[in-house]
Formats: sequence, structure tokens, C-alpha cells
Amino acid sequence: MPLFQLNAFKRAALGALFLAALAPRIASATLGEPEVTVQTDVARAHASIKSSQDRASYRVHEIQLPSGTVMREFVAPNGNVFAVAWQGPTRPDLRQALGQYFDAYALAPRSKLADRRHVQIQQGDLVVQAGGHMRALSGRAYLLSAIPSGVNVGDLH
Amino acid sequence: MASVRALRIGLCAALCVSAIACSGGGGTTAASGSSSGGVGGSSSSSGGTSSSSSSSSGGTSSSSSGAGTGNVAAVIIDQGPSNASVNTLFTSVTVCVPGSTTSCQTINHIQVDTGSYGLRILAPVLTLTLPVVTLTGGNSLAECTQFVDGYSWGPVVSADVQIAGETAHSLPMQVIGDSRFTTIPTTCSNTGGTQEDTVASFGANGILGVGPFELDCGDCDTVARFYYACAATCSETTVPLNMQVANPVTRFTTDNNGVIVVLPSVAAGGASNVSGSLIFGIDTQSNNQSGTQTVLTVDSNANLLITFNGQSLANSFIDSGSNGIYFNDSSISKCTAPPNDPTSQIVNFYCPANTLSLGPVSIQGMNGVMANNLTFSVGNAQTMLNNNFDAYPQLAGTNPNTGSFDFGLAFFYGKRVAVAVENDKTSVGTGPYIAF
Repeated sequence: MPLFQLNAFKRAALGALFLAALAPRIASATLGEPEVTVQTDVARAHASIKSSQDRASYRVHEIQLPSGTVMREFVAPNGNVFAVAWQGPTRPDLRQALGQYFDAYALAPRSKLADRRHVQIQQGDLVVQAGGHMRALSGRAYLLSAIPSGVNVGDLH
Repeated sequence: MASVRALRIGLCAALCVSAIACSGGGGTTAASGSSSGGVGGSSSSSGGTSSSSSSSSGGTSSSSSGAGTGNVAAVIIDQGPSNASVNTLFTSVTVCVPGSTTSCQTINHIQVDTGSYGLRILAPVLTLTLPVVTLTGGNSLAECTQFVDGYSWGPVVSADVQIAGETAHSLPMQVIGDSRFTTIPTTCSNTGGTQEDTVASFGANGILGVGPFELDCGDCDTVARFYYACAATCSETTVPLNMQVANPVTRFTTDNNGVIVVLPSVAAGGASNVSGSLIFGIDTQSNNQSGTQTVLTVDSNANLLITFNGQSLANSFIDSGSNGIYFNDSSISKCTAPPNDPTSQIVNFYCPANTLSLGPVSIQGMNGVMANNLTFSVGNAQTMLNNNFDAYPQLAGTNPNTGSFDFGLAFFYGKRVAVAVENDKTSVGTGPYIAF
């Protein structure tokens, strides 16, 4: 077999292996739950995955929502989503993204000092931080106990 | 631009009229509002109804009733209808049924917000029936407005809106918490946060978004976002630009290229009932001429680049709708929650033992212009708030967005801050910009 073809074959095979490895690990959108296939969540949101990257101590999936908002999901080495972040004109479906933690977020008492520009909630293990203003909202939610060691919370955006 | 606006207004006039009325929840809650400043109980067009002698009850003072004259609206910083507002700027607006000069209502305690776009009024304070905007095909138009900390749901209606001597005819605006639109779509409520559909949860009788853009969405004519077509149920929809909720200033006949907020200096420890002016137009009248101020063009998200403590913060902004100065400096002591309120969000504010003078801050516009060597002071938030003032120039807290420095209403104290609308020209530049 000519060298070129062998290399092409190897590349194809490696590529297939890589995709096979990646596919089942692409994120679920739900905090604190295992990373499962993207098909249901992304299909439900009519969204698309822009990229999936492995970082030093976590994997991050970047999902483009049709609203224009970009959502990122952070997966710990144990396979669980430990943080989600968003940036864009709208918030994502946080009921879906926060799962069992949504009610803690949605029902958190509103600060007397609230001004429609800032959210800093800690309810048990859940932390939600959001900022910005109309047409440019950003935020993140994470589970304190699930942050892999060595991860700087400030990098989760 | 002006011709485009005229066309949009014309289209709107043709499209907006609907047989579906917006009840506004009637006057049943007016009584609850009256204790907090004559909350729009008046159906007269003569102005606010608050009693100026009731000092703590807020409401625009009698001198500002009817929202001022000419191109100057009176503004005030007080406790607002929730009796709990801090660093929150209010004015009065008069809304009329389109085409009518008698079916009008003046509502005070409308928050003046340079960080949003469009007029929104809480249904419980509205006694007027304003026509809901209808889409081609007859569905009613409703909106899920998203703020950082929650959402507000309600129909888009058409109104003639008067502020001081300016009028926007057939302006698309939102009525929040309308009793005819009580079923909030799950795609709206699932975004989470506080449902800000009551005066108490909203902290104002409404909001007047006069930021540097024209529309609250911009591209919702092609992207289904925020807006819903409602018949028996509501579903997300695209919406023509002329039906989108618009910055009212851009629809004024004159003085429509922006606003200038003028506020006095405020004592370091705070003050109550601080009055100022909201001037419409920039370089359109003798009272709104540009001078030698620094003109900073904002980016497509209305943001500026602020440099502070060696940090480059690209998502920064100057915003009358922020009630503090929000930035991150881990060297400053934060407040502790009082024993009787362990979940108090005061813990996210700064409580230095002594007032700190901080800076320099530099602010860079997209036009490359820099405002350099700005300084600001941070006081002890708990100590200040214990004084129960309304305006606090030194109230500051942490910013949940680590890439942002949010210069709130305190930035405006003692300044004349101009906000020019996108694509509109003044003698010193083209919007969108902020100048001071």
C-alpha cells in the first residue's frame, strides 16, 4: 500500500475513533448530571454545537442557541457537568440547564438592593452569578462541590 | 434616519390598531400605590398625583408634575413606590390612547434607564385601556423582557407618549403584568430569575429605556426572540421593526437624537429626594448644546473598555439603571450580613472601615477616545444604608461579571452625561455614544 494511502487510512481511522470517543461524551445541558448525548438537548433547543475542547481539568462544549446566545457547559473528569455559562441577548433555558437546581435559583429571595443588572445567588451548593444589561446578558451557574481542583471559577465564562 | 423613522411610525399607525384592549388591571391596586407616591392613580393629563408634602412617599414633586416643560423632564431620586429604592432615578410620563388628547394618564415613578430601551409600565398602575399591537394575521403581540435578574411579561401596546413637552405618537411600548395575558409561556419563565410583574417586584411603576440604541431587540425581525404571537396561546415570533418596543426618544418629532442626564453632586454620605433634569435632544436646542466633553462611542453591546487596577474590562458600561458602582477588588472588605437577615445580599457590597479613594480609572470608547485619570470613592455600604437616604454616591459592590466595571447612577452625580442614539449625529459625533 502506498504510503500516502496508508496515512490517509490511518487518519480516517483515527478520526473515526476520535468521533466515536467524543460522540457519547458531548454535553447534556444539565448541571450536576452526567454528560450524555447532545442530540436530545440540542435538538430540543434547535441549537448547534460550535466546539468541544479539552482543557487541563475539564472539557467545555460551546453551544450556539438560535436566540444568538452562546452557552458553554463545563464537564469535570468524572463526567458530570459542573458549570454552565451564557453570553448573549437572552438567557438560555435555565430550567433545562440547571435541572434539579433551577428552583433554588428561581425562588431565591430577591435582594432589596436588586437593580436588574446583577445576580449573585448562593443556595446550598449552587452559585449563580450574572451581569450585564439589556441586549448583553452574561452569567454562569456552578456547583461549589463539583469544581475540579485547579479550576479558577473566573475562567468559567 | 428621520425618514426611516417616519416610515416606521406610519406603518405602525396603520398596523397597531387593535380591537383587543389591554385592561391594565383596572384601578383596584391604585390604593396600594397611593401610599408610595400617588402611583398613577390620576387619569388627568395634568401631571403626577403625589403630594409633595409627603416627603418620604416619593413621587415626583409637584413642581415636576406633568413631567416638566419643553425638552426638559424633571427627574428625582427617591425611595420609589417600593419604598426601598437606592440610587434609582425616576420621572413621570403621560400615556394617551393613540390620537386622543383626553384619554390620558400621567404616571410617576417611571425609572429612567440608560441601560435599556423602550417604555414599560406596570399594569396595576395603568387605568387606561391601550390598544394591543396586532401582527399581520391578527395575533396579539406580547413580550418577555429579559433583565439580568429576571423577566417581565406582557403585551405590546400602542400609545401616544408625552414626556415634558415631547410626544411620541403610536409608540410600541410594553404593559407588564397585564391581566389579559396571565399565562406566561414556559420559554419565558424557564429563563428564570425573578418574575418582575408587580410594582413591588419591579421596584418602579415602569421603566423608560433611553439607552444609545433605538430598539429593545434590534434584529427580532429575523430572529424569534423576546416577542410572542398570542391567540389562544402564545408562541415565539419574529416581529417587524416598526412593532418592536422602541426607545421613545427616537420617536419624538424633535429632540430625538439622544438625552442628557443632569444631576447635582450628592453629599458623600448620601442624600434624599435629589432632583435633576432629563434633557431631550443633543445640539437641538439652546439648553442641550455639546461642549468640550469626552465622547466615547460604545460597542454593539453598548459597552466600553474600562481599565482599573491593571485589569482590562471590556464588558464595562456607564448606566443610570445600575444602583451602585460594581467592580472587583479583592483587597476591599465586603459587608457581613446582619444577624437578623442572614441571607442579605449586602454581603456582595463593600464595607471598608474608612472611605476609600480609588483610581485611576480609564474609560476607552470604540472611537479610541480615552477618559483618563477618573477617580471614585467607596464608602461603607452598611453604614450608609443605615441612614436611609435615597442617593449614595459611594455605594459600591462586587461585579458578578469578572470582565466588567459597571459605573452606575453614582457616576452621573455632579455631571452632565449625554447618551446619543445609534446613527444619529450631534455636533461632536455620531451615536451610539456616551459623553460627559
